[in-house]
Amino acid sequence: MDLIDKVKTKSNELIDRGLNRNVRIAVTGLSGAGKTAFTTSMINQLLQAPIEEHLTFFSVNAQSRMQACKLTQHQELHIPSFDYSGALTHLISDSPQWPESTRNVSQAQIKCRFRVGHRWIKKLQSDSAVTVEIVDYPGEWLLDLPLLAMDYKSWSKACIKYLNSERRKQYTEGIQNKIRAFDYKSLQDETALAKELKGVANEYRASLSSYRNDYNDYGLALPGRFILPGALADAPTLDFFPVLNEDLLSLDWEQFEQNSSLKVLEKRFNYYKEKVIKPFFEEYFTKVDRQIVLIDTCSVLESGYESYQDLKDTVERLLEGFSYGRSNWLKRLFSPSIDKLMIATTKVDLVPPDQHSAMESFMQKMVAQAKNNVGYEGVEVETMAISAVATSEPVATEHEGEKLLCVKGIEEHSGESVIHYPGRVPSKGLSRQEWNDLDIDFAPFAIPELSEDEALPHIRMDKVIEFLIGDKFI
Amino acid sequence: MSDKPVKFYTKDKAHKDAEKLLEDNVLGDSSGSPLTESSQNKPLLPESAVKVGFKGNKAKSWLRKLFWPSLSTFIVFAAGYEAYGFVTELIETNWLLGAVAGLIASAVVISGGFALFKGWRARRQFKKREQQQATLRRLLSDNSYGKASQVLEEVTHDIEEYVNVTSLENDFEKKKQQVHNDHELIQIYSGTVLKGLDKMAIDIVTKHASEAAAMVALSPLAAADMALVAWRSSKMIEQLSRLYGCPQTALGRFEMTKRVFKNMMLAGASELVADAGVELLGKSLTATISAKAAQGIGVGVLIARMGLQTMHLCRPVPFGQENKPRLGQIRKSIYQKVAGLVKTASTGKSDKSNDTIEKKK
Repeated sequence: MDLIDKVKTKSNELIDRGLNRNVRIAVTGLSGAGKTAFTTSMINQLLQAPIEEHLTFFSVNAQSRMQACKLTQHQELHIPSFDYSGALTHLISDSPQWPESTRNVSQAQIKCRFRVGHRWIKKLQSDSAVTVEIVDYPGEWLLDLPLLAMDYKSWSKACIKYLNSERRKQYTEGIQNKIRAFDYKSLQDETALAKELKGVANEYRASLSSYRNDYNDYGLALPGRFILPGALADAPTLDFFPVLNEDLLSLDWEQFEQNSSLKVLEKRFNYYKEKVIKPFFEEYFTKVDRQIVLIDTCSVLESGYESYQDLKDTVERLLEGFSYGRSNWLKRLFSPSIDKLMIATTKVDLVPPDQHSAMESFMQKMVAQAKNNVGYEGVEVETMAISAVATSEPVATEHEGEKLLCVKGIEEHSGESVIHYPGRVPSKGLSRQEWNDLDIDFAPFAIPELSEDEALPHIRMDKVIEFLIGDKFI
Repeated sequence: MSDKPVKFYTKDKAHKDAEKLLEDNVLGDSSGSPLTESSQNKPLLPESAVKVGFKGNKAKSWLRKLFWPSLSTFIVFAAGYEAYGFVTELIETNWLLGAVAGLIASAVVISGGFALFKGWRARRQFKKREQQQATLRRLLSDNSYGKASQVLEEVTHDIEEYVNVTSLENDFEKKKQQVHNDHELIQIYSGTVLKGLDKMAIDIVTKHASEAAAMVALSPLAAADMALVAWRSSKMIEQLSRLYGCPQTALGRFEMTKRVFKNMMLAGASELVADAGVELLGKSLTATISAKAAQGIGVGVLIARMGLQTMHLCRPVPFGQENKPRLGQIRKSIYQKVAGLVKTASTGKSDKSNDTIEKKK
C-alpha cells in the first residue's frame, strides 16, 4: 500500500509540474489607478468563490469545480507580503476607506483546490491545486526600462528636453539654474561631496514631485525611484541629477578625473542602472507569467488634452517592455515569459453601464499602437472595463423628458444618496478642440457598507480572473 | 439626450422616480441613447458581411412563385367541385348515405384545415426563431447594452410553453447583474437556461439514436429499416423542437427536415474530417461485431447527427466552440447499446451450441 501511495503522489507531482499549475500575476499601473484595491478584490473574489460560486465568467467556478482557496505564505521571502486583511479591514470598517496605495513591491499567494475537469487528466488525478501569486508593484518602476539602454550623457540630454517643456518650466526653473551652476570639475572630500549632492538631488526630486502632484503627469525622463523610492529612500544611489550644461555635454568626459563630481554622478547613475533597475527587471521578466496594467481612464477624461497625451506616451512606454522583440538587447538581457497581458480601465462603477463600451473603446484607442506591438510578439492582449470594488448601482431616471441611465451611490463629502450622470463618455480619441468642449465629471462615490461574509461587489472581475488564470484550471 | 453631467439629490423628483434596471425593463428601445451612437461608430463587419451574397432573382420570381399556389388552389377547387357533385349524387340516391358522406367530407376539410393552420403556425414559429437567432447573433458581436434582455425574455416565454425551466430561469436571474452588457447577458443565458436544455436534448438524441441503432441491428428487412429511420428521426425532431420552444408538426416538420438534411450535407463534410479519425478507429470494432450491427450503428450515428443539426437549428443562441455538442459521446452509447445486444445474442447462441455439442457427446 505504501508503494502505491508513493507512486500516486509522485505521479500527481509529475502532472502538476507538467501542466505548470503555478501562475504569477503582476499587477501594475501608475499611482492612483487602483492597484491595491484590485489586488484586494481579486484575493477576496478567489477566497469567496468556492463558497458563493458567484464568478459567472470564471469557468471553473461556473462549473462548480472550485473546492477551496486559502492564502498561504509565498516562497520569495525577500518580498514583503501583501497586507490583505489590513486592506480588507479598511474597506469594511464603519468608516470605510480605500486601502493605502502601493509604495513598494508586495506579494500574495493563494492556493486554489479544484476538481480536475479534463476528461483524460481526470483519470490520473481527481483534484489538484493551482498556486496563484499576485505581485503588486508601482508602475513607475516599469518606466525605468528605457534607462537601461542609455548612458549618463544621453539621459542628461533627454532630461534637458523634458524639463524645458512649457508646463514643467515654471516648476523646474530654480533647480535648473542651480544645477547649471554646479561645479562638476571640483575635487572634494567624499563626505562633503555626498552631502552637497544629496542637497541638490533632493531639491531636484522635490521640484519634480510638486509638479507631478499638481498635474498628475507621469514623466518619462526621471527614474521611477525618484518618485517612489520603495526601500531605497535616502540611499546615496538616488542622489544624482542630470547635467544640464549643453557645453559640458558636448565635451569628451575622459579628461575629468576619477573623483571629480561629474564622475561621481556618473558612477551613481551606473550603479542605479546595474544594481536597482536590472535586478528588478530580471526578477520581473523571467518569472512573471501574466500581467495586468490598470489605467484610470476617468481621471484622464477629466483632466484634459495635455495629460491625455502624457499618459498616452507613458502607457506606450510602459508597454514597450512587453514588445521585447523590437529591442533585442532586452531579449538578450532577460528571457521574458509573459504570455498574457490585460489592459484594464478601472473605476467604471462611476460610469453608467451603457457607456462602459465607450469607455473601453476610448482606452483601446489610447493604447492601440502599444497593444499592436505587444500582440505582434505573440502575447495575448485583452482590454476590459472593470471595477474592482463597485461603489454604485445603475439606475434609470427621467431627465428633460428622456430616459437617462445613471449611477447611484453615496456622495463622498455629504454622505447623501445621489444619482449621477457623468456626461457622455467619448468612444474615440479627441482633437484638442473636442477636449476643450468635453464636459464630463466623474464624482467618486463613498464606499458603501460592505459585509465581511460576502464577496466584494465588483464589475467584471470574474472575466479578468478567467482571462488571467482560467486556463490553469483544466 | 443631454451630454452634460447631472446630479440628482434625494430631494429631486428624478431621484425618487429612479427605477432599478433589473426590475423594470426600461431599455426596450434605447433609440437615441449614447449607446446607439457608439455602436454606429463601430465598424459593423459581421453585419455587412452577412449582407454580401446573391441577390434574390426577384425579376422572374413572381411568375415562379405563382405556380405552386395556383396549382394547389386548382386542385382544391377541382376536388371540392367533384366532392360536391359526388355528395349531391349520393343524396339523390339515398339521403342517409349522402349525409354520412357529407359529414365525412366536412370532417376531412376541418381536420385538414386545422393541420394546415398548425403547420402554418409551426412554420411561423420557426421563422420567428430564426429571427431571434439572427438578432442574438448580432448582439453578440455588437458592443451594445440593454437590448438583449427583451429578446431573451421572449425566448424564455416561448420555451416555457412546453418545458418547465423555472429552476434554470432562477439560476439565470441570480447570475445576471445590472452592469452586464448584451454580449455578457447572452453568454450567461446560454450558460444557464440553454445549457440545461442542451443536456436534455442530448439525452433525447442519444435515446433515439441508440434505439434506432438497436432496432435496425435486429430488424431482418431492409425496407423496415428505412421506415424505422424515417419514423424515429421525425419523432426525434418533433421532441427536440418542442424542447427549444419552436415545436414542429407534420407539415412544419417537412420544412425542418429539409433544412436539417441540407445542413447535414453542408456541415457534414467538415464534421466528417473531424470524426474520421475516431470513425477509423471504430471501424475495426464494428467490423468484428457483424455487418448487421454495423448497419445499426451507422443508422444510429446518422440519426444522432440529424439530432445535433436540429439542435443547431432550434437553439436560440448559436453554440460556441467550447459548448458545441459532440458526436463522440453519443456514438459511445450507441456502440454500447448495439454491442451489448450483439453480445447477449451471441453468448446465447454459443451457449446453445455448447449444449448441442455436449448432447452429441
